[in-house]
Amino acid sequence: MEQYTQTWTLLKANLKRDWVKIFAWLLVLVGVFVAVAAKFDGIYGTTKQIAAIGSTLRSKAMVALIGSVPDGHLTTALIFASEMAVFWGLFIIIFNYSLAVGASRGQEESGLTEMVLGGHPVGRLAPLLAAALELLIANGLFALITGAGTMIANMPGSDANGTWLSAVAIAAVGWAFGMIALIFSQLVADSHNVSMYNYAFLGIAYLIRMMADVSNPTYTWLSPLGWLEKTEIYTNNNWWPVVMLVVLGALAFLAAVVLNSNRDIDAGVIHVNPGSRKSRFLRGPATLLIWNQKSLTIFWMIGMAVLGASYGSVFNSIGKIFNTSPTIQKVLGQSGIRHLEQSQVLSFVGLLGIIFSLLAVIAGVMIVNHLMTQERRGYLQMVMTKPQSRSYLLAVYVIFGLVLAAGLLFVALISAMGAGNVVMSHPIAFKYFWRTFIANLPSIALFMALMVGLIGVYPRLRSLVWAYLGISFLITYFGNLMDLPKWALKISPFYWTKKVPIESINATPLMWMLAIAVVLIVIGFVGYKNRDLES
Amino acid sequence: MDNKMILDVQNLQKNFGKVHALKDVNLQLHSGEVLGFIGPNGAGKSTTIRVILGLIKESGGSATVFGEDAWKDSVKIHQNLAYVPGDVYLWSNLTGGQTIDMLLHMSGQTHTAKTDELIKEFKLDTSKKNRTYSKGNRQKVALIAAFSTDVDLYIFDEPTSGLDPLNELIFQRRVAELKENGKSVLLSSHILSEVEKMCDTISIIREGKVIETGSLESMQHLTRNVVAVTTASPLDGLDKARGVHQLNFKNDQHTIAEFTVDSDEIGAVMDLLAKNSIVQLRTTPPTLEDLFLRYYHSDDGQKVGE
Repeated sequence: MEQYTQTWTLLKANLKRDWVKIFAWLLVLVGVFVAVAAKFDGIYGTTKQIAAIGSTLRSKAMVALIGSVPDGHLTTALIFASEMAVFWGLFIIIFNYSLAVGASRGQEESGLTEMVLGGHPVGRLAPLLAAALELLIANGLFALITGAGTMIANMPGSDANGTWLSAVAIAAVGWAFGMIALIFSQLVADSHNVSMYNYAFLGIAYLIRMMADVSNPTYTWLSPLGWLEKTEIYTNNNWWPVVMLVVLGALAFLAAVVLNSNRDIDAGVIHVNPGSRKSRFLRGPATLLIWNQKSLTIFWMIGMAVLGASYGSVFNSIGKIFNTSPTIQKVLGQSGIRHLEQSQVLSFVGLLGIIFSLLAVIAGVMIVNHLMTQERRGYLQMVMTKPQSRSYLLAVYVIFGLVLAAGLLFVALISAMGAGNVVMSHPIAFKYFWRTFIANLPSIALFMALMVGLIGVYPRLRSLVWAYLGISFLITYFGNLMDLPKWALKISPFYWTKKVPIESINATPLMWMLAIAVVLIVIGFVGYKNRDLES
Repeated sequence: MDNKMILDVQNLQKNFGKVHALKDVNLQLHSGEVLGFIGPNGAGKSTTIRVILGLIKESGGSATVFGEDAWKDSVKIHQNLAYVPGDVYLWSNLTGGQTIDMLLHMSGQTHTAKTDELIKEFKLDTSKKNRTYSKGNRQKVALIAAFSTDVDLYIFDEPTSGLDPLNELIFQRRVAELKENGKSVLLSSHILSEVEKMCDTISIIREGKVIETGSLESMQHLTRNVVAVTTASPLDGLDKARGVHQLNFKNDQHTIAEFTVDSDEIGAVMDLLAKNSIVQLRTTPPTLEDLFLRYYHSDDGQKVGE
């Protein structure tokens, strides 16, 4: 027990540091969840509405995206639960990742852990336990407030057991993944790599869930993320997956404890090999950036290719729902069916374009944000005292970020096309994917430009970019569900390209987006040139 | 040696919001000179250097390097300047050797025999990743890159804070070598013995103001010698003598005394001691430490030497 001395003190310090972050995340996560629940009756109240959304949700494409929907009679609450569980699981995992990395490896990296452990009577494992408890508190709060809020929303077809189950299950999946993040925090010595491992793990869990859901739902048990679906909220209300998640989290925590006990502070379990003594490649900011980002870039490229291919591999099942009805077949004839099939797949491609763009924006914005991280960490004082201008430095990051984001979008779309055309009898022409690609570029540029502008003028507000990106995605995804007014939908850049590739690109709004992006980038460059370097 | 002005800082001010980090900083560095810039932590040394490097913009006054504006012409200035920060942070996934080569490339220099010589001298294992280096080793990386850069001005911000005495000695030798080659060096430190050994001129900064500039010798009029004396007859009247402070008699006969004396009054005090027939006398010359302590113990606004 001595190893855990002062855990409470550390926990209090952690909470003091993170409470704004926790509060903000919970506000958004719980707020949107409960708001959607409250509005749901109005949107999917009637039998007709339920039937309409039910057939959409049961299409393979939607199952691939958000998980399976139970067979049999659907209610408002059931639709809500099927639509939200996996999705909210993803969000809360991201939240837990951010907390877990900050409280473990991030803290160690900043030298805080060393100071606390070395100079104070604090147990060796206290920081780790404090991190686990902090996550427990955050997720516990989520479960409590979400449960209570959803109870008040009182959707038709809901019951208390199921409502609390959904809240607790989502919190449990968050906590379990957070505990797994603590393992990765022991494996590698910097938080950047820890995040990479975390998201790779999440990506694999999501992919397994997706493949299993569209092929054989039994295999969904293979992915901890899929356990969320196995709770069968509002039908069988199965609590076992929650127990499994808690056990998984506890085991992961134990593993982290064992790994932590067997490593030195500031070191990772994975050993670092000695490197080269010389470098001809590294010549300046551009080559340095490429060098630093090479593994992350490859990781993104492969990840996007795999994601694209897995979405592409379900293209054939998307059209199939139309083939099953003989009446429709008769009415439409062969060519009509093909046409319908194709437009169904194309609208899915449009949706994919938005999802891929979202991920590409995350990758690109992270590159530009990396410049700011370097500045904060004091790396840039060595670069900026060299004969290279700040504009050049910023330009290197912006160009790399833009090229990476565009490249990722392209790779994902092309692999979706490749995999899709293998499984489909009537391939979809390249021009549709190209159109989707072109249509989404201005949105990507806009988000990146916002980051550039903020870095130049007010770097402290950088997280606005993430907030805007999150809101845009939520609006695009839930906007119709929540019955948002038209002007609110228009806030999202993705709104303007929603109908691509079925319809052709409407150039005017995209030109505006590009113009705003250019203005923001110019503001960013001017600001960056004229502000003090932070340290 | 021509007396070209390399660095000229005039009435420099820098505010961070409402905090006046620099109130009035004046520094001059001529070619071939080593300027020591000393002051306690938080006095504004690093802030001044960051203005000189064009990393932050001055709020008032001016800073020019090679006759160019430190902020506007920073790129031009940096072609002829090498800098080692006080806290060296390096990209964690590069090795020390890669970092040195890259820093040299960025300055338009190449890895030379001198670079290898420096790596050997500082005993740096350049195959290790930066993330495994201690503070001292990271400092070595930056120092090796800076010393093997051939430029006119070298700026070191507390460069030896992580080095052991042996490496400190190497650093001092290398600075002496730069000076021999007619290079200019700005060296900030709060370790006074370091500055004392290397610098021609010293500027003392305190609370954002440079309060004294000059050679070490020229500052000694402000300092006091420590005197320990044993005389045959009692030293009456010594307590009333001008320039005598902290008088402390070691015996009741008042024949053994320790005191400090202002450097400019030492002649008169010696006469007084001689009258009482000196048996034993030991005077300790003023060190920079004494000078320093006098500045920091004096109240704000009180002029030193009053």
